[in-house]
Amino acid sequence: MGASFRAESLKLRNRPAVWILGLVWLGLAVVLGYVAVYAFVANAPPPPVPQDVPEQERARIQQQERQFQEQQLQSLLPENALSGALSSFANLGAAVALILGALVVGGEYGWGTLKTIVTQRPNRPQVFAGKLLALLAALAVFAVLILAASAAASYAVASLQESPVDWPPAGEFARALGAGVLILALWAALGVFLATLFRSTALAVGLGLVYLLVLEVLVLSLPIPNETYRNAGRFFPGQNSTFLANSFAGGGAVGGPGQPTGAGQAALVVAAYAIALVVLAALIFRRRDVA
Amino acid sequence: MATNVPQSPQESEPDASLLVQTRGLTKRYGGLTAVDDLDLSVRRGEVYGFLGPNGAGKTTTLKMLLGLVRPSGGSARVLDRSPGTPGGLAKIGALVESPAFYPYLSGTNNLKVMARYSGVPNGRVAEVLEAVELEAVELSGRAKSRYKKYSLGMKQRLGVAAALLKDPDLLILDEPTNGLDPKGVADMRSLIRRLGTGERTVLLSSHLLGEVEQVCDRIGVIHKGKLISEGAVADLRGGGALVVRAEPMEEAARIAERLEGVEGVEATDGVLRLKTDPGRAAEINAKLVSAGLRVSELRPAERSLEDAFLEMTGGETV
Repeated sequence: MGASFRAESLKLRNRPAVWILGLVWLGLAVVLGYVAVYAFVANAPPPPVPQDVPEQERARIQQQERQFQEQQLQSLLPENALSGALSSFANLGAAVALILGALVVGGEYGWGTLKTIVTQRPNRPQVFAGKLLALLAALAVFAVLILAASAAASYAVASLQESPVDWPPAGEFARALGAGVLILALWAALGVFLATLFRSTALAVGLGLVYLLVLEVLVLSLPIPNETYRNAGRFFPGQNSTFLANSFAGGGAVGGPGQPTGAGQAALVVAAYAIALVVLAALIFRRRDVA
Repeated sequence: MATNVPQSPQESEPDASLLVQTRGLTKRYGGLTAVDDLDLSVRRGEVYGFLGPNGAGKTTTLKMLLGLVRPSGGSARVLDRSPGTPGGLAKIGALVESPAFYPYLSGTNNLKVMARYSGVPNGRVAEVLEAVELEAVELSGRAKSRYKKYSLGMKQRLGVAAALLKDPDLLILDEPTNGLDPKGVADMRSLIRRLGTGERTVLLSSHLLGEVEQVCDRIGVIHKGKLISEGAVADLRGGGALVVRAEPMEEAARIAERLEGVEGVEATDGVLRLKTDPGRAAEINAKLVSAGLRVSELRPAERSLEDAFLEMTGGETV
């Protein structure tokens, strides 16, 4: 498996699509999560208040606006760096991981390279395990880079605001990294499974994104007045990965009807889905003819 | 999905001289039988030509030998192992169908990836590049270009280079000259002949009669999934006939028709063609001479391989 892992790592390092995906996520996470928010909040003009509003009411509205701006700026500071970083994992990061998972397996079918590598020496389970390990390593690097970029951006905001720099405890950083990698692993596993099943990158990416962005939300928003149906939401992968990502926000994510009861449960559900998808994909990969 | 079948043959008497041996090897895709009850034997150290028209079942057979495709029936042993096992694959180099590599990597990096899968050191990459460059000079200057920019000829050569990484005992090449220009074809055939010297065994699949005739020691002919003939090139071309030039020819024809073991006599272009075992040449010569005839030529009849192939396949061309 070590040989397969080294071969896969060499491929991933030299594949432009991997770097492009990583840089797009990194750029969007910093620009949308920090630069755009800071530029808007810091330069926002005072809210227009009609002239006929009494002075006392006018002062109250302006006070509310200042509080909102302060909250927004507060969310960009180092003490909230983890929640800022993790917020992108369950949507943009999930999409990137899904595409990457589909690319890693689907490319082999598209280029016909699967027959070349499985006739080299390792057996198919070793090839597959090497792929997954290399993919997981790439996702871990992505997660570290996003956390580091968020930390750097929040430090920059603190410097601009001349605010004190209070970092979250190191343990929280480690927990956030673990949660982030777990979320990415789930969506990458879905990409791997779909690409293996359909022997195609395009179909896997298309179907995966439809599920991630539309299908689960659509299913859970159906107006069905049934307790069991509403509670079923807590077992859906998207719900749990979003809950897990939001659990790093101040006060943690709040569970409600159809929501996981806690970050621990969300992590377990996410891990269970990731493992199940990988096992299914491995079985298909091992058994099926290489046409 | 293929059905579960044993991939190891019922080896009552394993033959150590055979590197590849199949017994009743069969592959069905739904109602289509791609390979039908195939018994193939490739001997150690030979260049074996696997000849057949497009769609005859050559590539499917090779894929079964490499463990890429599961047989629907029968069994196969390759290097005394079941197909597709890591131990066996460690000594097999293969180029099946068209060469397939990563388009975003250079030729060198593609070989490095394959070297890692194979468990051979990176230093071997330079050696195999040198080996194929002896007859394909242009690859040397392009080894660091991306694979997607390679010509078909360069891709084929890179495929052969990858197949050589493990310094294999058995080299399986599937239509390696497909798409090459005439010089490329000549270079590739020369390379195959060189690779087939010594202990290495080469299993060459082709639909080109001239190619297997020039390169191979023995040939197996596959048609509609069945092995219809197997033997040395000379044997297949011989076809069990003798050519006799004797005077007077009419008298020679009358005597020959009465000889035991001669199944037919045909007079063409001033010679007689006797349908018989070529091994009886000396006996037939003695009888003609003792009858007072002047025999000036007596040799095994040789058809072109194309004629032999047409005869075997009932007129279907490759």
